[in-house]
Amino acid sequence: MHLFTRLCGLIALVAASVSTHAGTPEQAVLEQFHQSIKVGYNTLTTETSTLLRAASAYCEEPTTNHRKALNKGWLDAFLAWQAVRFVNFGPVENNNLAWQFQFWPDPKNLIARKAKTILKAEAPVTSNLIEQSGVAVQGFPMIEFLLFDEQQSIGQDALPAPRSCELLIKVAEHVNHNTEALASQWSDFRPHYLANALYQETTLKAGMTALEILEERRLAQPMGLRGNGRRNPYIADAWRSGNSLKAAKAGVAGLQNHFLPGLTTLLDARGESSLASRIRAQFNKVADNFPAADAPMQTLLGDDDRFRALQGLYVDVSQLATLVNDEAAVALGVIRGFNSSDGD
Amino acid sequence: MSIHRRSLLKATLAGCATATLVGCSLLPRKTGSQPERYSGAVGLPNGGFGVSAFDRAGATLWQAPVDTRCHSGCNRPGQDEILFFERRPGWSFYVFDAATGQRRHRILAQNGEHFVGHGVFSPDGRWLYTTASRYEQGQGIVAVYDAQRGYQRTQTFELGGIGPHEITLHPDGNTLVVGLGGILTHPDYDRIKLNLDTMAPALILMDRHSGSITGRLAPAHHHQSTRHVSTSANGQIYAAYQYQGPRHETPALLARLENGQLREYRFDPLTQSALGNYIASVVAHPENDLVAAASPVGGTAILFQGSTGALITRLSLPDCAGIQSLAGGDFLVSSGQGKLVRLSAHYPAREVAHLPVHWDHHLV
Repeated sequence: MHLFTRLCGLIALVAASVSTHAGTPEQAVLEQFHQSIKVGYNTLTTETSTLLRAASAYCEEPTTNHRKALNKGWLDAFLAWQAVRFVNFGPVENNNLAWQFQFWPDPKNLIARKAKTILKAEAPVTSNLIEQSGVAVQGFPMIEFLLFDEQQSIGQDALPAPRSCELLIKVAEHVNHNTEALASQWSDFRPHYLANALYQETTLKAGMTALEILEERRLAQPMGLRGNGRRNPYIADAWRSGNSLKAAKAGVAGLQNHFLPGLTTLLDARGESSLASRIRAQFNKVADNFPAADAPMQTLLGDDDRFRALQGLYVDVSQLATLVNDEAAVALGVIRGFNSSDGD
Repeated sequence: MSIHRRSLLKATLAGCATATLVGCSLLPRKTGSQPERYSGAVGLPNGGFGVSAFDRAGATLWQAPVDTRCHSGCNRPGQDEILFFERRPGWSFYVFDAATGQRRHRILAQNGEHFVGHGVFSPDGRWLYTTASRYEQGQGIVAVYDAQRGYQRTQTFELGGIGPHEITLHPDGNTLVVGLGGILTHPDYDRIKLNLDTMAPALILMDRHSGSITGRLAPAHHHQSTRHVSTSANGQIYAAYQYQGPRHETPALLARLENGQLREYRFDPLTQSALGNYIASVVAHPENDLVAAASPVGGTAILFQGSTGALITRLSLPDCAGIQSLAGGDFLVSSGQGKLVRLSAHYPAREVAHLPVHWDHHLV
C-alpha cells in the first residue's frame, strides 16, 4: 500500500535482516558459534556414553572401583552439559531437551518424589516409563539423586538395589539417547542457523541470559543476597552431590570456549577491541576464583571464611555480567526486553 | 519471575524518574469507556510489580503495587472499577478503584485452578468471564464471577481444550471469543510447555449465558498457538498466534474468521521474519478496518487492513507488546522500555511518551 512507502519519521522503520552476510564477520561468527557448539555437543555425547557404560558396569558388578567410575562418569557428563547449557535455542528446544537434561529449579522436590514413586511401584522400569514420567525423571538430577542423596543412600532402595539400578540405567540411556539426538540435530540445523542472521542475536542473548542466571539464581539466591536474605544451599543446582560450584565453573568455561570467541570477534569488528579485552580478562578473573571457591555450596555458606571466597566469585561474575550484558549488549545493539525475554 | 528485571531496570530506567511527553502536550484519547485514562501492568524501578494508570498529560494518576507480575485487565462497564489478572500461573486477580487505584478486592483462584491473565465483563458490568486452567487435569475453563456480589464465583464453563488465554466479548453481546493456546503447563514445572507434540490450539466461540461452545476453529498447523484475539465493532474476529516450531520457519501469525474458517494473513518475508513467530497483542480498531499487532520478540509492530490483510505499516520498536485503539482511528503501542508510540495509517509513527515503567503485555 502506498501509505507504507510514506512512512518515515521520528521512529525509524528498520527492516530486519533475514539474509546472510556471506563473507562478513557476522557470517564468520555464525560459523564459529556453530562449529564450537557442535564440538561441545559431541563431547556431551561422548561423556553420556561413558556414563551409561559405567552405570551398566556398576550394576553388573557393584565394586568400589566401578562405583568410583560411575560417580566420575556422572560428574563428567554433567559438567559437559554445563558447558553447553547456555544454548537455549535450536534443537535443544525440541521436546524440552534442556529441561530433560536438567530439571532445575525444583522447589517442590519433584525429583525425590518422582524417584520414590517409581522405586516403590511394581511395574518394570522401561524406556517407555522414563519417556512418560516427565522432565524431573529424565536427566542428570535423577541420576544424581540415586548416586548422592543422603537419605536415598542409606535406605532399602539404595544402589545397587535392583530397582534403583534399573532406574539408573534407563535414565542414563535416556540421557545418552537425547545427547545423540541433539548432536545430530545440531548438525542438521547448520544451514538454517547460517542462513538466518537473526540467530546471531539469539546466540548473543543466550550467553547473556546464562550469565544472568549464574549471577542471580545460581549464586545470589543461594547466598541469600535476594529475597528473604537467608542462605540456602538447596536452591542451588547439583546440591545433592555438592557440585553447585563445579557446575558454575564448567558453565563459565563453556561460555569462554563456545561464546566468548564469537562475542569478541563481533566487538572487534565494531571497533570495540578494548571492551573485548576487558571481557576476556574478566572471564579469566572469574576462573581465578577456583579452586578456592570449589567446594560444596553448603560448606561455603556455612563458614564465614569460605563464604568470602564465594563472595569474591560472585563479585567477579557480577562484573562479568555487567560487561557483557550491559556494555557489550549496547555496543552490539542487543536489546533484551521485559516482554520479549519472558512473555505470555 | 523475570531474572532480567534488575539489570533491565538498571539499564533502561536510570535517570528516568518522571514521564516524558515527546513533542505534544496531550496524549490522544482512547476509544471505549475510559477515554481519558490509560492503564497497564508494569514492572517497577524497584524491581517489584504494579498496575499503573496515567492521564492524557502523561501524569501518573496512581500506581498500585501487586504481589506478582500481572498481565492484562479489563474495565468494568458502568462502574469506576478496573481489574488486573496475575500472569500465568495466576493465583489471583485484583479489583481496583479506577479513579484512585485503591484495591477493593483480591480474588484468589479456586483450589486446583489458576488464572492465565485475561478477563472480560458482560455489557452490563455484572458478570466477569475469566480464562483459567484446572492444572491437574489440564482443562481450560471460563470461570464466571458475579461482580455485584463481591466477585463470587457462580459458574464454570469448560472449553474442551488446554491453555486458554485471551478472552473478549463479541459485539453481539452474547458470544465469548477465546484464544485456546493448546499448550499444557503445570505450576510444579515452572513454565515448561509439556505437550508441544500433541497441542491442539483453537479459536473458541462460546455462548456466555449457557457456556455452550458455538464454534471451534483450529489453525492450519498445530504449533500455531492461538493465544490472542480481538473483535471489531462490526463483529469481525481476529486471532493471533505464537508459533512453537523452529525460528527459521515463518508461518502465518494472524488470521481472520471468515465463512466459518480461519483465513490466514501472511506478510512479506521481511515482515514475517521481523515478527519473530510471536504476537503479544492484536487489536481491531472499533472505528475502521484497521488491525494492529505487536511482537516484543521481534521488536516489531504492524498495522494492516482487516478485510484484505494488506500491510499498511511496520514499526521497529524494541520490546513492544501492548496496543490500545485511539479515538480518531489510530493506535497506541507500548513497550517494555516505557515508550508509547502512536501508530497511524496516515502519518509516520510518533513517540508520544516515555514513562518510567516497563509496560507489560497489554494496555487497558
